[in-house]
Amino acid sequence: MKKILLTAGALLAWTGCAVAGAGGATVSIPTEDYKAILQRLDTLQKRVDQMEKADSPSGKASSAAMPTKLAKDVENIFDTLDKVETKTLKDRINLGAELRTRVDSFKLKDDLSLGAVPGAVGTDHNDNYWTNRFRLNLDSEIQKNLLFTGRLAVYKNFSNLGNDAQNDASQAHVPGNSNVKLDRAYVDWIPEGMPIPLALTFGRHPSSEGPPSELKENRLRQSTYPSLLFDGEADGVVATVGLERYLGWKNSGIRFAYGKGYQDSGSTSYLDNGAHPYDDINVYAMFFETEIPGVRDSLMVLSALQATNINGMGITNAAGNSVGKNLGDMSLFGAHVQANNVVDSGFDLFLSTGINKTDPNGRTFIHPITGAPIGLLNDNGTSKHTGWSVYTGLRYNIPYKPWNNPKVGFEYNHGSEYWASFTWGPSELYNKLGTRGDAYDLYYIQPFNDNLFGRLGYTHINYDHGSMSQVFGEPGDSNAVLDNVYFLLDCRF
Amino acid sequence: MQKRIVTMLTAMSLMLPAVAMAASGDALFLQSCGACHKKGGKAAIVNPADKAGSVWDKYFARGRHTVDMGMSDADLQAVVKYLVSHAADSDQPAAAVIPK
Repeated sequence: MKKILLTAGALLAWTGCAVAGAGGATVSIPTEDYKAILQRLDTLQKRVDQMEKADSPSGKASSAAMPTKLAKDVENIFDTLDKVETKTLKDRINLGAELRTRVDSFKLKDDLSLGAVPGAVGTDHNDNYWTNRFRLNLDSEIQKNLLFTGRLAVYKNFSNLGNDAQNDASQAHVPGNSNVKLDRAYVDWIPEGMPIPLALTFGRHPSSEGPPSELKENRLRQSTYPSLLFDGEADGVVATVGLERYLGWKNSGIRFAYGKGYQDSGSTSYLDNGAHPYDDINVYAMFFETEIPGVRDSLMVLSALQATNINGMGITNAAGNSVGKNLGDMSLFGAHVQANNVVDSGFDLFLSTGINKTDPNGRTFIHPITGAPIGLLNDNGTSKHTGWSVYTGLRYNIPYKPWNNPKVGFEYNHGSEYWASFTWGPSELYNKLGTRGDAYDLYYIQPFNDNLFGRLGYTHINYDHGSMSQVFGEPGDSNAVLDNVYFLLDCRF
Repeated sequence: MQKRIVTMLTAMSLMLPAVAMAASGDALFLQSCGACHKKGGKAAIVNPADKAGSVWDKYFARGRHTVDMGMSDADLQAVVKYLVSHAADSDQPAAAVIPK
């Protein structure tokens, strides 16, 4: 309709201009032409009226017909949006999942911990050792500055209830206990209106699979702490101060962490420590991290942490009673640097170092099997020791799209005689980063699609001192060797 | 003295219902909204848990309730506050204040 009116108007204007241009200010046209124009206008008006009548559902010409329809459409869109938005807001937690099936073929030989009698060595091997790991990942943006992240996990041997031979084929089908393993559950709170950029994290922390584990795990960074120093589950409180605005270094910040390695939570602990003769293991830590200035997609972390009153309560006698004692303190210091896709070469590189220093309190206890006195990395309760470790590696991202850009990586770590760290929760079956000796690790990652990849790997470890990476007792010499070939399938969605 | 106390108590007792009325979003919701939004009513049944809190806020902020409810601004605010506090994403969603 508008188009027709505009056309008619333009026609008239064009006609007028043409005449005016030809004859000056006064327009004069023949009577026949004038009548023809009027007739044409009249015809156009009738056509417009007919079209408006046809458009109107009520059969009445109404200029408000279109706006009413539009208003209804808008209202319908709003109603739909209301439903979608309400549904979204009710879904407070986003869910994700991971499933990993892994088979290991390993042989640990000449290990002192496997000997039939104290002082003798033994061998352990398994051609095909299968495990399943399921993780349920949760996250929620509770508010703009309040975020929740959680992870529930089941990590089990094929068919076994635990590390024993008890079959578990009916665990999910008959009444049992309600145990669920809590891997991590924490809240990040970023208070508004603070004079400095501050974040507070509390709960069960993302303290496992830290850098550079994400390279081998084929995922994004999973933890705050470099895995050479700390790799395990930890309850605590962390305050993070952002430093980027002061230093100008991207992603720079400093973290102050407090947690516990052990807490006296016995039923009478609020009265006294009589029935629970262990002091708490308090863990204090500080981490400075930043992207390395001038190096894109890089990370540097400087770490310092201390664990006080380390105890050996996990060591028990035949009756199951703990024989350990509080043995002293241990401090750890570390430096980690990492750069991904260095100068667009496809190579990811990292170097991590750590130093540990013990401060024993003079106490020892008697090991229930060996009968040897046990102190903090000593046998006399007093000797102070310093250990160190270096951990380095690379990963190459093969630019071959038909195979979904597979990756190949190599890692090496060496630990000294007195090296000890807090790496109890590695993804492997063994504590590779606690090695006192040399560990070589080669792997190949084959992505099958965006949600599924396979990893084939080989690990070889030569233990020079004590294969168990414990902090209890003098490490002693070792000639143990571990060889492991494994393959895993990992699905995340 | 006794007379003063009686006068004060009388005044307070007269004020109480007014205070209660002003704060009672649920009563206003039932009275005003429930007059039409009920089974067999002029409009579809509605309850706080039909929408999320922020959706209720936006609904009235956009003036989407085209029918004049005959409420003062203060009463409307009380109703919206009630709807939000019992919305679908609240701690206490109310889905059947007006029976379906």
